[in-house]
Amino acid sequence: MLSGMVVIPALAAEPPSKITVGYLNLVNAQLVTKNLGLLAKEMPGVEIGYVKIGGGGDMLRAITANQVDFGGLGNPPAAIGLVRDLPMKGIMVLNMLDYVEAMVVRTDKNIKSIKDLAGKKVAAPFGSTTHYLLLKALAEEGVNPGDLELLDLAPADIAIAWSRGDIDAAWFWEPNLDKAVKDGGNILITSGEMAKRGYPTWDVAVVMNEFAEKHPEYVEKFVRAECAGIDFWLKNPEKTAEIIAQELSLPIEDATRMMKGTEMVPCPTQLTEAYMGKSGSIGQFADTLESTAQFLVAEKRLPKAPTRDEFAAKLDVSYLEKIVGE
Amino acid sequence: MKADVPKPEPALRIAARRLLALRPPRTLLLSSLTVILLFCAWVVVTETGLANPLFLPNPEAVARAFMEVSTEGYQGSTLIEHLSASLYRILVAFGLACLIGIPLGVLMGTSETARALLSPMIEFYRPLPPLGIYTLLVMWLGIGEESKLALLFLAALPGLIIATIQAVRNIDPIYVRAAKALGASTRTIVLQVYLPAAGPTILAGMRISLGFTYTVLVAAEIVAASAGIGWMIWDAAKFLLSDVVIMGLIVLGLTGVALDMVMRLFGQILMPWTRKQ
Repeated sequence: MLSGMVVIPALAAEPPSKITVGYLNLVNAQLVTKNLGLLAKEMPGVEIGYVKIGGGGDMLRAITANQVDFGGLGNPPAAIGLVRDLPMKGIMVLNMLDYVEAMVVRTDKNIKSIKDLAGKKVAAPFGSTTHYLLLKALAEEGVNPGDLELLDLAPADIAIAWSRGDIDAAWFWEPNLDKAVKDGGNILITSGEMAKRGYPTWDVAVVMNEFAEKHPEYVEKFVRAECAGIDFWLKNPEKTAEIIAQELSLPIEDATRMMKGTEMVPCPTQLTEAYMGKSGSIGQFADTLESTAQFLVAEKRLPKAPTRDEFAAKLDVSYLEKIVGE
Repeated sequence: MKADVPKPEPALRIAARRLLALRPPRTLLLSSLTVILLFCAWVVVTETGLANPLFLPNPEAVARAFMEVSTEGYQGSTLIEHLSASLYRILVAFGLACLIGIPLGVLMGTSETARALLSPMIEFYRPLPPLGIYTLLVMWLGIGEESKLALLFLAALPGLIIATIQAVRNIDPIYVRAAKALGASTRTIVLQVYLPAAGPTILAGMRISLGFTYTVLVAAEIVAASAGIGWMIWDAAKFLLSDVVIMGLIVLGLTGVALDMVMRLFGQILMPWTRKQ
């Protein structure tokens, strides 16, 4: 397909009658794409279903059950799914996680460092990016996870447990994170700080292999729409804040702050070494997947860790390259 | 076969006979056949590659998961520890539900007033989905054991109450009239007439209600548990460890069958008159 050319339906392969996009309940440009109907503009005549999914674990189940065509996954669930040979591949960066994810600690518990967490009740959604970072942070500081009471809670349940005073600390994400901070909490460490220490976390868009084989041009359309959403986010911060406030029913100032906690990567930049890289020389995302998988093996959550090359083979930047080249 | 018993036998021996009579070899054989066939189907489907190992791992993998979790444990607890955490929750909640549900059922079965007063509450919450109630329970009772026990308790309760009401109301009024004519007190009537006559139906209600308690176990252990078979299944599912999931389901199912057998055995011992002729 040439740049800017309109696809003549008769020449294109049979279009899908419906596509389903599973999007994570967090703050990123997918909300813009959804709100502005950018996907619908790319695919007239195709019914588009958006399904909001609470976390990586649920997204993996949705993908396993083949209930979405496109999904979004943080690096731990992405590593889990790819190791388990789920029929999917990563196609683009949705967002890099900065302080949109953070560990909140109860102010009156006097928790000043990771070491102070010993003996405390700490919650995280198991299997998610924050669970991964929590265990990494404990390991870095030499704290044995057995010394604290680790609880597996979904973000919405963390908010409930926090407001009741059942937990002392939690590493999770917006929009619920803010409720805890405002309710007697303060931030101990953010996911962005962990990224600087060498543990980046991010969300990657995935497509089901079967869909990609049948409708490659619709994968391109998806990427084009998401890139347009990211562009809009970067160029119109105020309007974006309005959209997020509307999508998540938040006050505008909260939306503005949460936005800054998520780093959007312009599509051309995604093709650099620090992110997805190029076809034939996949970037650092493959390294993160490899180290995440090794970590999960050590945690006995995964049976084996594939090599970097095996992960690289499951990141397909060809769609992104085509769109950026336009 | 042994219909006419010439002299009274010790209760235990009678119970043992009842148990034997309950499961004649033929039905046992047929049941075993079903189990064997299911197992063969499982082997065939996995060995021929018909099933994606992610969805249905082979028996070997499940057996390996069983050995591993039994010896090394799953996320800090061994299988026995997970199992005891779950059984503790189930038995405490179910025991409480029996202690409250059966007397409540007797009361509602015997008194029109009690029935009218209490039934709106029970009829209303009975069809509510457990997960819907659970969010509220977590808000009220927190993420600890209380909310888990409460959810299991609420799942067990209505079946018990309804079965007991039914059992009590179905008692032939002649029994009660005869007892009254002989000068029995209300206490005696409840203990000597109602309970023995209603026993078998109440026991059936208990068995169904225990099954119901099992169905909400995973839901109860999703929120902030770190041990329990339900939690293990849920957690393993997040990491797509389907061998652990299936192993957990089998263990859970077997304990359910075992508990049901224990209840039937108790029924045989406590209510020898329920023996079928």
